[in-house]
Amino acid sequence: MRIRRAVVDGNTTGIAFLLIGGRDPGQRLAIHQRHYRSSLVAAIRTKFPATAWLLGTPVLDEAAQEFVRRHPPSTPCIAEYAEEFPGFLSTYLGAARVPYLCSFAELEWHLGRLTIAIDQPALALDAFSTFEIRTLMDTSLTLQSGLRYLRASWPVDDLMKLYLTDTAPAEYRLAPTDVWLEVRGSRGEFHLDRLDAAEFIFRQAVLERQSIGAAAERALDAGTGFDVGRAFTTLVRSGYVIGTTSPDRGGQA
Amino acid sequence: MTMSSNRWVPKGAGVGLRLPHLAEVVATRPSVPWLEIHPENFLANPHATELLFEVRRDYPISVHSVGVSVGSVGGIDHVHLRRVRTLVDIVDPVLVSGHLAWSTHDGEYLNDLLPLPYDEETLRLVAAHIEEVQDSLGRPYLLENPSSYFGFDTSTMSELDFLCELVRRTGCRLLCDVSNVYLSAHNMGYDPWRYIDGLPVAAIGELHLGGFTPEEDEAEPGAEILIDTHAARIAEPVWQLYAHAVRRFGAKPTLIEWDNDIPSFAALLAEARRADEVAARALTPQPRRAVAG
Repeated sequence: MRIRRAVVDGNTTGIAFLLIGGRDPGQRLAIHQRHYRSSLVAAIRTKFPATAWLLGTPVLDEAAQEFVRRHPPSTPCIAEYAEEFPGFLSTYLGAARVPYLCSFAELEWHLGRLTIAIDQPALALDAFSTFEIRTLMDTSLTLQSGLRYLRASWPVDDLMKLYLTDTAPAEYRLAPTDVWLEVRGSRGEFHLDRLDAAEFIFRQAVLERQSIGAAAERALDAGTGFDVGRAFTTLVRSGYVIGTTSPDRGGQA
Repeated sequence: MTMSSNRWVPKGAGVGLRLPHLAEVVATRPSVPWLEIHPENFLANPHATELLFEVRRDYPISVHSVGVSVGSVGGIDHVHLRRVRTLVDIVDPVLVSGHLAWSTHDGEYLNDLLPLPYDEETLRLVAAHIEEVQDSLGRPYLLENPSSYFGFDTSTMSELDFLCELVRRTGCRLLCDVSNVYLSAHNMGYDPWRYIDGLPVAAIGELHLGGFTPEEDEAEPGAEILIDTHAARIAEPVWQLYAHAVRRFGAKPTLIEWDNDIPSFAALLAEARRADEVAARALTPQPRRAVAG
């Protein structure tokens, strides 16, 4: 516990006298503390380069230093570390200062995670040719693992595209706008698209394994013009569907 | 528990395969006898794992964990161990290894290899954890000697005695990191050559070589402390110690580690070739000199 405190918090109270090595072994404990901080701050910097571009690296580093002190990793796989950083960053800097920061950093987190996903073989429309319409409505779908649906109150996708294409103008005015984003990634690549609200709600509900019928009902609440047949067909034709679970057809396919 | 020992001997030194080189290795299939991976770099990265499965078809792979914390008083992280086992089952590595260290506490992972006090209590703890890991993986688990900057006043035995006793109790084998021996001996003030001489020859299953970075010891101006950065070429005195280790242990799988400021893959291969040359010279019988008179 005392070593943990020394490594994470830099607090060596009550431990230095237990150590041996060199003239001041307590000071050598700081080598591990430095490594803990620098390696995790570097990992965060690697995961959030666009956020660093937005804020400036010194600001991101300062927040990352505090984040690693307050939130040590819970797993040895550092690729999974810092999912909570966007929320922390927003609170740490004050949400009012950069109101779109949390959404922007969340988008960046997901882009990084989805880029390392891998597509599975997708089902073709033929796979559903024998489904009765009622069975189809009760069926839930398994989508590719590299899909996420993010809603933001700012056009953070536009901002991200400016970063990715290195085309940011000297001055850019960002106005609040609701955006419904679909991010799809696989094997080192990703696509970032805007959807309308009803399509977004449908696809997000499908991703959450709700039945097609339930997802369609939620989408219809958002837009009366929502066409479930077209939405379903588009989903399958886009190569998003990799499996089905249908109570009438004996489970998973 | 004594597990059947894998006595695999490659045709030369291997290199640590890190993510920045993965695509290049898949695309170019460079000539290297074997590769070592850290499973923690792959477990949460499906794309990298997919590429690793391709690499695995053409190269023997060794799995070297940095996250299985055999020195943690809170026990082994079974969730992580299961994930490692899944990868190990698929990759079917030639060697599996980890560190004599601890890195987890109370559900937190401290992203470093932290030192242990060398006493009977720690010995029992680590021995039990090694047996647990070997049982879970169904394979021998080689244990690497740590890089040390300080020790504990409460230790009742040396690191060398601790490792020897661990081998005696568990039948585990050792990964001798020659650079760590040199670095720890420098930092803690003992003789690295005698350390190598004291290791049980039959238990040595693998050798590591990595670069370190000297820093001024803040508490002792003018004195250097060596930091295990894996961010540099292997130092000359370590090559000499490696030759001594090869003479003592015989030809063992040797690995070049480079984890930070990672250079080109070709630079890693050059270090591996040098390891082969040093080992070959070390194993060549020296002609006896005629003594006049």
